[in-house]
Amino acid sequence: MRRKLILYAVLCVLCVPFVFPTWWMITTSMKPISEVFDFSLIPQVWDLSSYARVFEMQPFGQQYLNSLYIAAVVTAGTMAVAAMAGYAFARIRFPGQNVLFVVVLVGLLIPSEVTIVPLFQMFNRLGLINTHWPLIVVPILGAPSVLATFIMRQFFLTLPGELEEAARVDGLGRFGTFYRVALPLARPALGAVAIFTFLHSWNLYLEPIVYLSTPDMFTLPQALTQFVDAYGGPLWNVQLAAASMTAVPILVVFVLAQRHFIEGLAHTGLKG
Amino acid sequence: MRALIPAVALLTLAAACGSGAEQTAQSGPATLRMSIWTANEDHLKLFNEIAAGYTKAKVTFESIPIDSYTTTLTTQIAGGKAPDLAWILEGSAPDFVESGALAPLSSKIQNAAELAPAATRLWQKDGELYAYPFSTSPFGVFVNTDLLREAGKKVPAKGWTWQEAMDAAAAVAKKGKAGLIVGDWDYKNWTNLATLWEGWGAKAWSEDGATCGFNQPPMVEAMTFLHKSIFTDKALPGPGETVDFYSGDAAMIVTQISRASLLKDATFDWTLLPLPHGPAGEYSVIGQAGIGVIKKSPNAELAADFLGYFTNAENSAKLAQYFPPARTSQLNVETLAKSNPLLKPEQLQAVVIDGIPNGVVKPSHKGQEELIQTARAALDPLWQPGADVKAVLDGVCTKIQPLLGS
Amino acid sequence: MAVLTAAKAGSRSASRFWTVRRRDNLVGYLLIAPQLAGSVLFVLLPLALVGWFSLNEWNVLAGTFEYVGLDNYARLAADPALRDSLTATAIFSAGLVTLNLTLALLLAVLLNQKLRGTVVFRALFFSPVLVSLVAWTIVWQFLLQPNGGINALFGGGPNWLRGSGTAMLSVIVVQVIKNVGLNMVLFLAALQGVPKQLYEAAQLDGAGAWTRFRRITVPLISPTILLTSIITVVGSLQVFAQIAVLTQGGPGTSTTVLVYYLYQQAFPFHHFGYGATISVLLFLIVGALTLVQWRMRRKWVHLET
Repeated sequence: MRRKLILYAVLCVLCVPFVFPTWWMITTSMKPISEVFDFSLIPQVWDLSSYARVFEMQPFGQQYLNSLYIAAVVTAGTMAVAAMAGYAFARIRFPGQNVLFVVVLVGLLIPSEVTIVPLFQMFNRLGLINTHWPLIVVPILGAPSVLATFIMRQFFLTLPGELEEAARVDGLGRFGTFYRVALPLARPALGAVAIFTFLHSWNLYLEPIVYLSTPDMFTLPQALTQFVDAYGGPLWNVQLAAASMTAVPILVVFVLAQRHFIEGLAHTGLKG
Repeated sequence: MRALIPAVALLTLAAACGSGAEQTAQSGPATLRMSIWTANEDHLKLFNEIAAGYTKAKVTFESIPIDSYTTTLTTQIAGGKAPDLAWILEGSAPDFVESGALAPLSSKIQNAAELAPAATRLWQKDGELYAYPFSTSPFGVFVNTDLLREAGKKVPAKGWTWQEAMDAAAAVAKKGKAGLIVGDWDYKNWTNLATLWEGWGAKAWSEDGATCGFNQPPMVEAMTFLHKSIFTDKALPGPGETVDFYSGDAAMIVTQISRASLLKDATFDWTLLPLPHGPAGEYSVIGQAGIGVIKKSPNAELAADFLGYFTNAENSAKLAQYFPPARTSQLNVETLAKSNPLLKPEQLQAVVIDGIPNGVVKPSHKGQEELIQTARAALDPLWQPGADVKAVLDGVCTKIQPLLGS
Repeated sequence: MAVLTAAKAGSRSASRFWTVRRRDNLVGYLLIAPQLAGSVLFVLLPLALVGWFSLNEWNVLAGTFEYVGLDNYARLAADPALRDSLTATAIFSAGLVTLNLTLALLLAVLLNQKLRGTVVFRALFFSPVLVSLVAWTIVWQFLLQPNGGINALFGGGPNWLRGSGTAMLSVIVVQVIKNVGLNMVLFLAALQGVPKQLYEAAQLDGAGAWTRFRRITVPLISPTILLTSIITVVGSLQVFAQIAVLTQGGPGTSTTVLVYYLYQQAFPFHHFGYGATISVLLFLIVGALTLVQWRMRRKWVHLET
């Protein structure tokens, strides 16, 4: 019994640095600017005007939508590309397979700061600057989706070999086997991929800053840095209000679907 | 699962239509893009109003956040997506003017002769003007007179010295509030310290930019004074402490007069004074911003023409609402008072009108950003209580001398 | 007659060309085509371009682009600032990976105990992963001020972001808290896969908790440890936003890790060519570290099949 109490105590203490910043972010966004530096745990004066100002200062609704639809498209696209590539690398023996896999894996090693300038020039030549295309196409086909392919491959490797034979007996070709048999089984792994990918796209910061120049096109992380006064000084409570609006919906969805989130991650076959 | 692939196709199509719609913008008259660093609604309203009167092109203003402004602008130029016109910070002026990236403007500016020489020096090369100094903003000191009175200090007047300023600041700090703030410095952006060290005749580097000035006697004296004021007299807030003068939490702030608008709803009594005198006497420091035309732009000719319109006498007077003009005919109390309703005529005279003709611009140099960062890193050891001022400043020169030579 | 025979022979050899094997291969190539095309277009091509940039001096404002051969690399080899940056990177990565993996394992072990409500704690520990990186960093920047929330909580404390040791510590801790939830979940899943009988048998043999952990738990979850350590090491070498917001590489250059140094050279300082050179170096380092870790798996990953 005492052991349990100690465990709970330890967990509670450890929890603080994880929870306190989010708590503080939400409560401070509801304080008037004069109270922001007071470090009260709960606002002494409840001032929700910063939430209104968020929408006044930026086309925040549009930006929210931008982030949302980009993340959704990237997630769906990545799931498709990664599932296909992951299956092929795992279950089909084709010449050059290992070499090609290594070529693809190279994408995991490169930070985006390294490739951003050539990519910017590429898209500029195509006239696609200040559109969302770079933010959609590159994550789906390029470096960010490689992790997803890796995860899918790991998962497909764990399927029993008899799977393909059984499918062939049923008259399915290779593609049919993939689409009708392997893919439905991959739900947990796909779930994990969906989560990783969505979060990655949702939080992208450098890329929107480089590619997008009109506030209408901005995504949320980019918009967060725009809440400054006329001289560039941050408007803390407005920034935090915007940050809260960015974080809270995800947190709520997470709390409701927690089991699927975490179980999906756990069953990716990454355990080895 | 089955609907996956058709769904992806559909979504991508929708996305394409969605972002495509944003793009079917301009066909018809030519369009010009000017990048700016303010996102202030009032500023934008004014710009759009002025631009509306220009019939030869449609002009859009693109706001880039100021802390990454030059970097973003340069990235755009590197990527081939440069704007037609761009605001330029005084610190980046040498880089832009020297590099040949800007188009010559002298012939396009209306009545260029009336621009104050002190204001145009930075933006000229070989007698040709490469950017128009649309904002020349002298530094002054806003003083919270309530706090001074509470601390038992007399409100200073024009002609005051740095020693007096620090004494008053220290007295207020003893009472619990903060003393003097060097605006926008925050122990990082050291070019703002020029507002202090010019009083000792110190310079970051020589006139020709080739020799390091940090370890010269005037600078050593100035920095020693500053160090003592921070760590011994506690007249300034320490590193990392965030204090807001405009909420009434500090005695004084050294900043540009444009910040007066932040005092619109001030809950305390305040005044504006010119910079204090240092041991080397009276001086004034100015910050500037220029607008240039990017030479590589396909619309450079048109852009230069627009710039001439944007900065002609009439529009310059309108811009003077927020940005002190370089046109000497408009540097008088009447014009300035209209646009700075919160400042009294004698304040405008003392700080702005008297400040601009002899004002020294904040330090600038070719390869500005690298110099600033390198010096900043080298100055960091200075902001500790027991620092050896001379040793640190020697270190700064060691680090930046190679960069100055180029 | 001969023509007909030849024609029939022709069509039979056509269908004999598309054997099951060949069709399989075709499907394989088609399935990986998008990913491969993307890798070539958006990873390899830019990488090659970056390599090309490193061989040139590109002055963006002046619009000049000059071939300088290996000059940039020579400069890199002699650059004292690079040495400082490599040191900072080593400290940062080592600190981050150690703290992250240890904490993740510790939390996973704690949550693996039979306690009610671990689901709640699991969610709380995972929540920072979901908060936007920019928002998280802004919040911490605020909290770490000398008159900020952290010091208020402890009743006083150092100037976290401006002291030379504490700045590095702060950046590491902020990053770890943000991401440790992910590794924690992976470790938790791995822990739950360890058969209980093994622990029971060991307990019967008189093994203490620590011995059980060392001899049973760690080897059995070693594949997960390997994978998470590779991902965490690679990730640690790419941390940029937090440093940009919290310390800007300071105080002095104590937190100027390689990726930040790269960014500084390429973007604010406009030395694109030199920045590209550092990128190449970074890529090689990441590649080398990953290769080393992968090769070592034979040594310390149990049950590699």
